[in-house]
Amino acid sequence: MEVDLSALLSERQVLILRVLFDTLIPPDDYAGAWEAGSGNYLARQLQGDLADQLGLYRRGLDALDAEAQFRHGMAFAALDEVARNGLLAQIEQGHTAIDWPIDAAAFFGAACQHAAEGYYSDPGNGGNRDQVAWRMIGFEVKG
Amino acid sequence: MAHYDVIIVGAGAGGGVVAGVLAEAGRRVLLLERGAHLSYDEIARDHLRNHRLALYGHNTGPEPDGHPRVFVDPTGREQIVRPHEGGYHNNAMTVGGGTRVYGAQAWRFLPQDFRMASEYGVPEGSSLADWPISYDELAPDYERAEWEVGVAGDSDASAQHWPRERGYPMPPVTPCGAAPALQRAAAELGWPAFAVPLLINTTPYLGRPACTQCQHCVGFACPVDAKNGSQNTMLVRALASGNCTLVTHAQVDQVTVTPTGRVNGVRYYDAAGQQHNIQAEQVVVAAGAIETARLLLNSRSTAHRDGLGNAYDQVGRHLQGHYYPRVAALMPESVYDGIGPGVSIATTAFNHGNDGIIGGGMLANDFIVLPIIFWRGYMPPEIPRWGSAAKAFMRENYQRVTHVMGPVQDIPSPLARVTLDPQVRDRYGMPVARLSGTTHPETVRAAEFMWQRAREWLTAAGAERTWGTPPGLSLSGGQHQAGTCRMGEDPRTSVTDHWGRVHGHDNLFVADASLHVTNGGFNPVLTVLALAFRVARRMDAM
Repeated sequence: MEVDLSALLSERQVLILRVLFDTLIPPDDYAGAWEAGSGNYLARQLQGDLADQLGLYRRGLDALDAEAQFRHGMAFAALDEVARNGLLAQIEQGHTAIDWPIDAAAFFGAACQHAAEGYYSDPGNGGNRDQVAWRMIGFEVKG
Repeated sequence: MAHYDVIIVGAGAGGGVVAGVLAEAGRRVLLLERGAHLSYDEIARDHLRNHRLALYGHNTGPEPDGHPRVFVDPTGREQIVRPHEGGYHNNAMTVGGGTRVYGAQAWRFLPQDFRMASEYGVPEGSSLADWPISYDELAPDYERAEWEVGVAGDSDASAQHWPRERGYPMPPVTPCGAAPALQRAAAELGWPAFAVPLLINTTPYLGRPACTQCQHCVGFACPVDAKNGSQNTMLVRALASGNCTLVTHAQVDQVTVTPTGRVNGVRYYDAAGQQHNIQAEQVVVAAGAIETARLLLNSRSTAHRDGLGNAYDQVGRHLQGHYYPRVAALMPESVYDGIGPGVSIATTAFNHGNDGIIGGGMLANDFIVLPIIFWRGYMPPEIPRWGSAAKAFMRENYQRVTHVMGPVQDIPSPLARVTLDPQVRDRYGMPVARLSGTTHPETVRAAEFMWQRAREWLTAAGAERTWGTPPGLSLSGGQHQAGTCRMGEDPRTSVTDHWGRVHGHDNLFVADASLHVTNGGFNPVLTVLALAFRVARRMDAM
C-alpha cells in the first residue's frame, strides 16, 4: 500500500526527508532507503504506531534544513554527499549550530531507526520493496 | 450455575497438558484462556511485532491497551508499561501460550539443578533452595513430555548427560549454519557438544508433518504445524475426548472460595466485560509465573486476606527467568545456509562445576536472525548505524556473523517479585502485576563467566573477531518467567507442596513454571510440560 506523505508533511519537508533517508541508507548497486520504500513505511507508521512523532518529524526536518542553511548557506537537500554526512554526524551527537525546537540527537536517532525498519523489515510493513534489502544481504524466505 | 470437575486457568504449556490428561481420564474440564485461538495467518510474519522483536506490538497478545503492568526498574523508577514495552516481561497470551511461537528447545534440567542449595550453599540475600523432588522423580514425566508432545534429539548424546530410560521419538535436526565449525572447536577444547533437542518434528509424528526448515521459526507460528506445543497435542486430545470446554477471551480475576475458605471455582470476565461465576471441584492455575501470582494475590477473601496460598508472603517472590549472555563473531566465510530453525548445536560443559561460580548454563548457536534484528543489535559497536559503512557491513557480513548464547541459571532473590499494583487496573478493573527487584548478583557473575566461554568457543571456531557485552544487574522474567509459587515442604518458604498443590488447600493446584524452585541453566519448557504431567497424574489419582 502506497501512502501519500503530502497529507502529513509539506512538499519541502518530504524532499528533506527523502534526502535524509537516502543519506542514512544510500543507494548503490542496491536501492537506497527511499527507493526501497522507507518513506512509505514511515508514512504508514506516522498514521499508526508513530502518530505521536509527527510533530518531531515536522520540526526536525525544518530544523535540519535551517541548520544546513546556517552552516552551508544552502538547503539540506542541495548539499553534496560529503557535506550531508558531515552535518548528520554532528546532529547525531547533538551538536547543532542553531537552536532546535526539539532534541536534535533524538530526532536523528528516530530517523535512523525508522529508515532501517522500513528497509530491513518485511515488505508487509510498507518498505523493503521486492525484498531488495533481503536480496542484498542474502536472507531468502524459502518456506 | 455451571459446574465442572476441574477448571484450568491458562491454555499454555502447563494448562494444555493438565486438560489433556484429565479430560481423557473422564473429568469434565473447563479450560479458560485470556487470549485468542489464533490462526497461522493471524500470527503472521511481521518482523516488527513478534516474540523476537516487539517494537510496536505483539503477534500473540495481549492487545496493546487495557492490559498494562507496572515495572519498577533497578533504580526504583516506576512506570506503567504496555505488553510490547521493556519491563513488561511478556509471554505469548494465546491458546498454546509461549509454545505457539517458541524456539522449542526441549531440555531436561540436570540432576544437580534440583538441589542447587545443597550443591553450592546459599549466598547471602538469595533464596536459592533445593526442589522437593529429585531429577529421578521427574524423569518419567520428562519422558512422557518428550513422547506425547514430541521431541527430536540425539538420544545417545543426551544419555551421556542425563540418566534416561528411553531415547527421543525423532532424530535430531541436521547441523546447519555454523554448527560444523562449532563442533570442531568443541572437540579441540574438549567440550562435549551435541544437537539441540527440539519440540519440532524432524519426521512426521503424531499425525503432523516434518519441519520444512523455514526461516521464521522462533517468535512465529509454524506454517506446517510441525512445531509441537500444547495447542496441537494435548489440547487437541482434551477437546477430542468430549470432556473439555475451551473458552477464550476469558480473563479470570478471582479464584473463589466458600465462606469457610474452601476453593470452589473462579470468576472471569468475557470479551464483552460480562462477569461469570463458575464452580468446580478442583482449580488449576497455569497462567504463567507473573499472571498466576497476580491471580492468587488478587483472590482475597475473609478467610484469605492476603490472597490464596499467601499466608507467609511467598506468592510472587523469587521471580526468575534467564540471563542470556551473547557473543557475536565474524567468521572467515559465510556460515549461513538459510536452513531453519538454525539452532542446532549446544554444549552443557558449563552448567555445573565452574570454579567459584554458582551454577552456569547451556550454550548454543542461534536461530536464524531476522535482518532488522541483526541491524539493531548484532553489528559490532564501532560500525556506524547509518551511511554506506552500515549498509556495506550488512551486505558483506550478514551471512558471516554468527552467535553463541545461552540461558544462565538464575540465582533467585526474594526481592524479585510480583505484587498487585495499588493503583493501576486493567480493562476489567483487576489490579495489574507490579514487577520489582532484581536477580541476585551471583547471576551476573555466572553470566560473565558464561559470556567468556561463549567467546572462547567462537574464537576456537575460527572467528576473526568477536563482540558483545555481558548483561548487567536486572530483573529476570520474560518468556522464561518462573519461580513465583515455588514448590516445597515448608509452607513458610514455599507456596505448593511437591505435587503442585497449594499449601492448605486440597483442591487448588498450580501447573506452570511458577512451581520451579530454581529455573535451571536451560530453556524451561520441557520442565513445565513434565511438571504439568506430574500435577495431572496426582489429580487423576484423587
